Amino acid sequence: MQLVLTVNGMVHEIEARPTARLLDVLRDQVGLTGTKEGCAEGECGACTVIVDGQAVNSCVMLAVQARGKEILTVEGLAQDGELDLLQQKFVEYGAVQCGYCTPGMLMSAKALLMGNPVPSEQDIRIALAGNLCRCTGYSAIVAAVKAASGHEATPAMELPAEPAELAAEVTTDPDTLAAACEVVEAETGVTPGGPCAPSGLGDPFAASSPEGGE
Amino acid sequence: MTEVRSPSTRNELVAELAQATPRTRLLAGGTDLVRVLRQPGGEPDVLIDLSGLEELKAVRLDGETLHVGALTTFSQLQWDPLVREHALCLSLAAAQVGSTQIRNAGTLGGNVANASPCADGVTALTVLGADVTTVDGAGATRTRPIGEVVLGPSRTSLAYDEAVVGFAFPALGPEHRSAFSKIGSRTAVSVARLSCALVVRFDAAAGTLASVRVALGAVGEAAFRAAELERALEGRPADEETARLFAGGCVAAVQESIPGRYSLPYKQHAAVGLAYDAWNMLALSAPCEPAWA
Amino acid sequence: MIEDLQYVGGSYPVHDVAQKVTGELVYGSDFSVPGMLHAKLILSSISHGIVKRIDATRAEALPGVVKVFSHENAPMEPFSRARIHPGQDMSFYDETLFSAHVRFVGDRVAAVVATSKAIAEAAAALVEIEYEELPALLTVDDALADSAPAIHEGGNLLYEHEIERGERPDLEGAVSVTTTTSTPRVHHAALEPHVCIAQGHSTGGMTVWTTSQGVYAARTVIAELLHLEYHRVRVIKVPMGGSFGGKTEYIIEPVCAFLAHATRRPVKLLLDREESMIATMCRPATTTTIRTAFTPDGELLDFEAASTLDSGGFAASTPDYSVHMCKKVTKLYRVPHYQHQGRAVYTNTPVGGAARGWGAPEMAAATEIHMDRVAAALRLDPVDLRLKNMVEPHDTDLVTGLPLGDARVRECLERGVVAFDWAARRARPAGRGRYRRGVGVAAGAHKNGMFGAFPEASRMGLKMNEDGTFELNASLHEVGCGIVTTMRIIVAEVLGVHPDLVAAGEADTATTPFDYGTYGSRVTYVVGACARIVAERVREKLLLAAADLIQEPVERLAAYDAAVHVKDERGRAIAYRDIARLTEMRAVPGIAASTTYYAVSNPGSYSVQFAEVEVDCATGLTVVTDFLAVADVGRAINRGMVEAQYQGAVQMGIGYALYEHLDVDERGRAGVDGFKNYHIVNAPDMPDVQVLLVEHEGDDGPFGAKSVGEIATVPTAPAVVNAVNNALGTELSELPLTPERILSALHGEEVPCSSC
Repeated sequence: MQLVLTVNGMVHEIEARPTARLLDVLRDQVGLTGTKEGCAEGECGACTVIVDGQAVNSCVMLAVQARGKEILTVEGLAQDGELDLLQQKFVEYGAVQCGYCTPGMLMSAKALLMGNPVPSEQDIRIALAGNLCRCTGYSAIVAAVKAASGHEATPAMELPAEPAELAAEVTTDPDTLAAACEVVEAETGVTPGGPCAPSGLGDPFAASSPEGGE
Repeated sequence: MTEVRSPSTRNELVAELAQATPRTRLLAGGTDLVRVLRQPGGEPDVLIDLSGLEELKAVRLDGETLHVGALTTFSQLQWDPLVREHALCLSLAAAQVGSTQIRNAGTLGGNVANASPCADGVTALTVLGADVTTVDGAGATRTRPIGEVVLGPSRTSLAYDEAVVGFAFPALGPEHRSAFSKIGSRTAVSVARLSCALVVRFDAAAGTLASVRVALGAVGEAAFRAAELERALEGRPADEETARLFAGGCVAAVQESIPGRYSLPYKQHAAVGLAYDAWNMLALSAPCEPAWA
Repeated sequence: MIEDLQYVGGSYPVHDVAQKVTGELVYGSDFSVPGMLHAKLILSSISHGIVKRIDATRAEALPGVVKVFSHENAPMEPFSRARIHPGQDMSFYDETLFSAHVRFVGDRVAAVVATSKAIAEAAAALVEIEYEELPALLTVDDALADSAPAIHEGGNLLYEHEIERGERPDLEGAVSVTTTTSTPRVHHAALEPHVCIAQGHSTGGMTVWTTSQGVYAARTVIAELLHLEYHRVRVIKVPMGGSFGGKTEYIIEPVCAFLAHATRRPVKLLLDREESMIATMCRPATTTTIRTAFTPDGELLDFEAASTLDSGGFAASTPDYSVHMCKKVTKLYRVPHYQHQGRAVYTNTPVGGAARGWGAPEMAAATEIHMDRVAAALRLDPVDLRLKNMVEPHDTDLVTGLPLGDARVRECLERGVVAFDWAARRARPAGRGRYRRGVGVAAGAHKNGMFGAFPEASRMGLKMNEDGTFELNASLHEVGCGIVTTMRIIVAEVLGVHPDLVAAGEADTATTPFDYGTYGSRVTYVVGACARIVAERVREKLLLAAADLIQEPVERLAAYDAAVHVKDERGRAIAYRDIARLTEMRAVPGIAASTTYYAVSNPGSYSVQFAEVEVDCATGLTVVTDFLAVADVGRAINRGMVEAQYQGAVQMGIGYALYEHLDVDERGRAGVDGFKNYHIVNAPDMPDVQVLLVEHEGDDGPFGAKSVGEIATVPTAPAVVNAVNNALGTELSELPLTPERILSALHGEEVPCSSC
């Protein structure tokens, strides 16, 4: 049958079997495999998506039931390449290990925060009660959700700040570089020119062209 | 290949029901049915998708009767102000069904039609003395008590062309207290091994229980009213002695309902906890504990 | 003492965290290739019997079905799913791709290959199978009875062994205590079910995408089964959603590879949850009886044990497992005389085998419950009893004869006692109310790799790119515990660059060097040591190349912050990037190195754990209200991940103690088929786990690190059981402590468990 579904703000026209689950349509036809299947019976929560603002198990919902509704999956959380605050906190708090439960956890947490911006720990654990995890013991996940709601604990992960020692930042001082180039030239007869000039590493989509260069 | 029909008005629903066969299924939230559909041989000829029937999702108070639509979800029931005020035991039961995801999709009508012996909604509706309204393919509306609809494990008196449209029961008033307790296999997200819904009308002046209704679920064929126990409790003061009597009565009712069942030894013990949990939720006395040897 | 470290000891997320939080990462179950077919297994519905007839006519007539395979048209050479290595002992070749003699409900009888999963499932329902049933032997006792039919040739006693060490001292005046502890069959419950994809090429070779924990062994099993040369079988490790040992052995890889080979097409075999539960493998059920003799003041004199493992329908790794159960006690306690009989028995039940801890959780459950019983008999505090007998650093393991290394278990216990406020909590009476609290302690020991029992080595290469970044070429198998990141941190520390400048991929038999896999608690200790050494070799080359380029002796140079610096000459440095580019212009090999590291030791890893529980004596339901894990980790490479692993490991251990069990009914059918009836601990029931790290860097691991992932779950269950027994004054020792078992103990009457 023909179905029109709105997923992460985009309209999709889908041909699906009438009894296709929302999970199947999202993964196989819309091509968004972030939503996972862990149990096929609505127990593990790996298939959680948000439909009209509510977290639901997409493995026990038919796609046809989601017609005319706003469906949000994990792929729809980040906007313009920027991670959602929840996603950032999951990263910062070490709330991800194997990651298979992560999309479902994020969606349950997102739905919670959409309706209850400052949940208690109890609220969070109840909201996540239908999301099973075998790797993390839930603590880091709960801490991440709390942090996303404004209650930062000391993060489990004290992430190093943006690496200052990225290779592009480290340059050889001109004298040393010149001397080293001389050594190579003497040995090979080739003047190391271009490759020695520092070239900018960084955002490949940045407007500026590399300095120096070939 | 299954055909899916999605009526959006009651008339359209009746028209679909008129075409129903024994292989037709009605889809409410899907949390029970979708799993069944995927089993080999589980595909129906027609699936009537009820999710577009907005008029079945309402809760309203009509005089002294509370009407709850068949498609109200457990999340809705958990938080609806009318339900909390006039049928607290139903709100409490809804809050303990499955997980948040299940509560957001699962419906009271689906819970009744699926007729699991552990259905928490059915226990609450039983204590509330709910009537079930249905409509069929001929357009006829019927109303009958919940106990005449849910007959046993996965057995209802619903015909294949009959859809539950709503529930109605006397609204509880300020003189009522109600509670719902459940013993599962863990704190949250568990099918009930025992459930209890309790409604008392409390005579504050006399300090006694003017009337008592007790429904027990997940034991026996379907949720039932423990009539003998109710009579024993009526008129009694709201005190520890009564709590003890209540617990003992629950145990006896459990023993009577599943004699010889493998789970009876466990359930008759756990019924003590079930009863005290429900009693303490009423908050009519200081919290009580079972007496231990 | 190790100098100030820049990266080791920090906290880092897993290397692919960005892809995981965006849903971008392609797991095995998400993976597909063009033209891929889908397979569905047909499993035995009886627990013991012979397949008399298979009729696939109706199934094969369904449009979209390619073929149905069974013992009638598949190679029937037996193989062992537990093989790591060609020429390995302790491999029991008792399994075939499909069974003609079915040995448990869930045994593979056939497989349908079709163009879609739905068609394969519909076709599977149309395959007609007739069995001749044989008597089902559902318990170890049934299987060992004289009249019991043989499940496999050679009889049902699969494996038996005994070890004895030391001399029994004079036991005059000694107090003797005997306990029997049983642990259940358990489902690993990784969130991603089992999956494998294989592609048979027209050239006759094949590619296999696997989530297993060792690609090279997968290749061995597959290549030998299908008679393919090794170089034509490529096995690639793809991201997986957890394993915990359940994907260590080669269960569906051989089947999937065969289907791909037979059809010359890509085939995906993805199991559902029920199949993952019963048709792959489980942690084996065990029963252990321990009899000890102690002096009245608590000194251990003699330790005798007998353990029986239920191997289920196939041997898998239970023989090795049972040997390992005998190697746990003497890592932890000093004892003059130790005797341990172990045996593994075939039964007609789901296969038991590799599981996190490899016998250590099973043995720790028995040992630590026993120790508490002894403490009660001797009227000693359980902590004091353990302190009297625990090993000290650099003791020798009585059973293996290997040094235990810098074994800090004693310190774990002492620090934990303080942090948990043990004395005060223990002194609090549990009372006789409805809700009773108790506290318990348990210690556990595990190993660091396979040195001493198996040729243990790791091999890898490391190269530098022209822009100063690095790539580690190693057969890594990420199971979710962050080992890829661990390797990057180690390499980064040695080279003096940020870990983000070090890339490490996962195993691929075509491109990464031979290594075993992620198991045996070998990765941090052995694979990590190899990473350190190969990084040191690269650093050496950097220094030598720099020395030549800037004309300074090596002794004056130091490598850090992505450059080689002249000591005591500020500002005079040559960036790694420039060393790389200039070196490539010369007629010298690039900056790269490879190395094989042979393990030199196998110390003990330790954890001591403390649990507080609250038992509802009306319903028998138990909640863990507080938990502390103290970990002798040597050195935390990735501190946040060590803590995170411990928290997850405790979740598994609490489930082991209280909720999880996979039992069969009188017809051998599992009583559970999904998470609805197999409960793992969820967020509301999980306490916050405090983790304390003890770090003395005393052994041969990288920067002194020791293993974490398995030891973390070893003492958890007995800590919980001991706490429950403390709360209730009971002597429960049959895991899990279901509500029925608790009520039985409280009321002194049998309360049958309807789910047991």
